[in-house]
Amino acid sequence: MVRPRNHWVVRVTHWVNFVALTILIGSGLRIFNAYPRFARRGETFCCYPWEGKRFPEELTFGGWLAGARNWHFAMMWVLVANGLVYLGFIYLHGEWRDLVPRRGFFRDALAMLKFYLFLRSDHPRQGKHNALQRGVYFILPWIGLMAVVTGIAIWKPVQLSVLTNLLGGYVWARFWHFISTVLLVALSFVHIFMVFAVDPYSLRAITTGGYNKENSPEARNARPFWNLLPRKREKVEDTNDA
Amino acid sequence: MTLDRRKFLHFAGTSLSAAILSGCDSRGPKGAERILRYAERKNEVLERALFRHTAIDAPPAGAKLAGNALPSYFISRTVPIWDESRQGKWHLEIGGMIDRPLRLSLEDLIAMPRSHKRVNHYCVEGWTAVEQWTGVPLRDLARLAGVHRGARYVDFESFDSGYHESWDIESAMHPQTVVAYGLDGRFLSPAYGAPARVYSPVKLGYKNTKYLTRIMFLPNRTGGYWSDRGYEWYAGV
Repeated sequence: MVRPRNHWVVRVTHWVNFVALTILIGSGLRIFNAYPRFARRGETFCCYPWEGKRFPEELTFGGWLAGARNWHFAMMWVLVANGLVYLGFIYLHGEWRDLVPRRGFFRDALAMLKFYLFLRSDHPRQGKHNALQRGVYFILPWIGLMAVVTGIAIWKPVQLSVLTNLLGGYVWARFWHFISTVLLVALSFVHIFMVFAVDPYSLRAITTGGYNKENSPEARNARPFWNLLPRKREKVEDTNDA
Repeated sequence: MTLDRRKFLHFAGTSLSAAILSGCDSRGPKGAERILRYAERKNEVLERALFRHTAIDAPPAGAKLAGNALPSYFISRTVPIWDESRQGKWHLEIGGMIDRPLRLSLEDLIAMPRSHKRVNHYCVEGWTAVEQWTGVPLRDLARLAGVHRGARYVDFESFDSGYHESWDIESAMHPQTVVAYGLDGRFLSPAYGAPARVYSPVKLGYKNTKYLTRIMFLPNRTGGYWSDRGYEWYAGV
């Protein structure tokens, strides 16, 4: 039996996270639409130029404000529990080593960028993930933590006023909660784009665990939309020379 | 591993399609209603465990009073106004599990020791406003009425087409919970709940019944206008 590329705990938590985040973001947008601005009543807010603009109804979840809030306050526990299982597992099981920036991160990240921009012809060498992936997979849990902490601060601004005040008060905490969502959505879009444009084979790896190393982006020398198909195997007999 | 994989695929498939399908009618699947209510009950247990009378709401020193920018919500078709010529003099009744039922006029309330504090208003819609409420702390009225130990809930009734909301007694006895008759230094106007309303920064706006007529101390919770329609019953902040 071949070892799966991603442990089943990682695969399950990944997809639970996907469902939980989708519902949390959809219901969060519905809640935001009830008051699509940040200023306290009778005041103005410096830092949100689109105030008064609602998100399209089709992007929201929960149907109405009460429904959205009920979903949001139920699903937040799924996100937290799932996140703790994931983080606890990758810590205890050692997976975190593939998911944190290594020494020389900026040099390696720059090399990846150069490769994607055709300023370099060969794919930089990498382990399980390239430097850009490591950066994103490392940052995502921190953004998740930001979403949870700012969320708690606007859920209990009186009983947990110490936390809310630490974040600048209710208005700012609500703004940071919104920003954490924007960051999550932005990075998720990059993530999904790269899956389909560079490494669609990882879709199998994160679902069933199966992965053929010969199809890795490094092996295919793959950039977005370049060398998407598996490489032709021509030099099979050369492998012993190395 | 094969079994796991198959199970996993099945799980991922069903939960994904559930999420996508329910996204279409955007309210979520009917079966989820039970789970949502379960989560609400568990959240309430946690929130009530977190609740402290020493947690006091304090708006930032520089925050402006909302004044007229404060929205005024009611459920009647027009602004509810107490009509003395038809309904007689307005009184606030305090009843239920108490030793001494009270019937207080506005003058009675005004004559009592008052609290006059700037606090935040937390609306379920996500906005906040800073307001200065003048009124009698409900815990003073409770002391006066002699509330029984078995009274675990309080229902606030109004003359706004039957609008009411019931609370847990702990929140009702929070030092910042007042029967308010003044806003920003003036008597309440009809739009904001005249002659008196309950106000507390520890509950979302919709729990703070306006156009108050009766406060009942009860052994059981009695729901409320919005909480019967799907909004959280506890709604504490």
